[in-house]
Amino acid sequence: MRDNESKVQRKHELPLEGDSTGVFLKVMISIAVFIFALTLAGVLSINSMLQNWNNSILGSFTVQIIPSTESNHAKAVAETIENQNKTIEFLKKHEAVDVVTPLNDAQLQKLIKPWLGDGVDLAKLPIPRLIDVKLKPDAELNYRKLAEQLAEVSPAASLDNHKLWLNKLIHFADGLKMVAMTILILVLLVNSGAIFYSTQTSLGLHKYIIEILHLMGAKDTYIAQQYARRTGWIGLIGGVIGIVLAIPAIFLLGNLASEIEGGIISEANLSVMAWGIIFSLPLFAGAVAMLTAYYTVKRTLEKMI
Amino acid sequence: MTETKDNICPIIEMHNVGIRYGQGPEILSDIKLCLKKGSFHFLTGRSGAGKTSLLSLMYLAQKPSRGVMGVFGKNINFANRDSLSLLRRKIGVVFQDFRLLEHMSAFDNVALPLRICGMNDKEVKKRVTELLAWVELDKSMYAKASTLSGGEKQRIAIARAVINRPELLLADEPTGNVDNDIAPKLMKLFVELNKLGTTVVIATHSEKLITDFMYPRLHLQNRSLRVYPPAKVFGLGGGNER
Repeated sequence: MRDNESKVQRKHELPLEGDSTGVFLKVMISIAVFIFALTLAGVLSINSMLQNWNNSILGSFTVQIIPSTESNHAKAVAETIENQNKTIEFLKKHEAVDVVTPLNDAQLQKLIKPWLGDGVDLAKLPIPRLIDVKLKPDAELNYRKLAEQLAEVSPAASLDNHKLWLNKLIHFADGLKMVAMTILILVLLVNSGAIFYSTQTSLGLHKYIIEILHLMGAKDTYIAQQYARRTGWIGLIGGVIGIVLAIPAIFLLGNLASEIEGGIISEANLSVMAWGIIFSLPLFAGAVAMLTAYYTVKRTLEKMI
Repeated sequence: MTETKDNICPIIEMHNVGIRYGQGPEILSDIKLCLKKGSFHFLTGRSGAGKTSLLSLMYLAQKPSRGVMGVFGKNINFANRDSLSLLRRKIGVVFQDFRLLEHMSAFDNVALPLRICGMNDKEVKKRVTELLAWVELDKSMYAKASTLSGGEKQRIAIARAVINRPELLLADEPTGNVDNDIAPKLMKLFVELNKLGTTVVIATHSEKLITDFMYPRLHLQNRSLRVYPPAKVFGLGGGNER
């Protein structure tokens, strides 16, 4: 065994491969990357959802024709239709408007049905008429001025540019994003802390070898690089394990979300770029692990002579 | 050693240097020392006199608790970590307890100072193989240090100390564990290195070594250091040196 020349391959001075901290770190990082990937997918989904909402709402608005309060039903309907026609006429002539689409009875009933149920005769109810208006591309519209003009055309017409409900949704989505971002930061901090303490433990375990390396003239960087290489590799492996576990979970959550009625969540599709970011998480985990270990070693060794 | 123009620059200078551990008493006090380039000294003194502490100051394992110390012309008191590392590369040390990396082969242990300096693998292999053959360890080159005998470990420790052709060689009982036939050979290596300009300090209890090789002595007694010229016969307790 002593003369076995096959053992010529150079070993690293610090026997970090056999460190028990390695297994702990791999498990920690894989869990962290799993949580990180799910949360990041959530944040990116919320972003895409907001983008989709914005795209569908920007460049359009709705005009509501309030039903007439006339006690005679037929007269009231006729008055409401007249108000609607006057409004449509005005909107079609407006320079910023591209398409004007009044919603027919069937469409209106479909919108209201979820709230009132099937057992109500909608024809007898004073249902407001809705007109969907699409603006020309790049058209700039002064909504306040338009609202005033509409009031002159028909006092029953009121303008809804979707800002109110959209703002509430954006506010809610922003809150979710903040929570998700906090989780991401916490995961990052906890993971960096684990790497910091396990690196310090390892430095304590290998103090004897480190002293020898220093006495032979090794700079702190020489030792820090060995730790950075090893911890970076552990980060990469842990990251790959975490992402392999996270991908099916993301698909599962996506499928569950798409089953929610209303289609709001199904707007939250992950783009190719978002998938690219998620798949690059193992590299990110490796880089964070490498840098944390490097600076932990440098900082700890600075306290030695 | 006779002084020439080349060896005027001191390798190590100490002015009123003291060393203590924590809040304890001083191990060494008011040490004044000037080791010239190319000099050869034995370091003697009873066990516990502070030989290892003085050597540890010289190989920059610690800074003095007080006083001023210069190594290769650099004031150690104000040297930063990186410059201390670069100074250590000029110093070869043979430790009494060898301080080998037990999980590595004899080859890797000896190659360590060269690799730390960033030497390429081809040159490392050439120099290490030659030196291991010279210390008669070429057959155990790839054996783990942990599997070697005390004498073999000592030869590896010496080979590691000299592989980088250091400007200063410090050795703590370097021939204590080797066979009688190899001890003179190792001493010859130190002498040859000294002839090539390496400053050598060897801590030893061996009267034979000191009488066989006529070099001046640095003697530690009562926490202070005195320098004695080469002497054929003396007591290591310091009783008859004058």
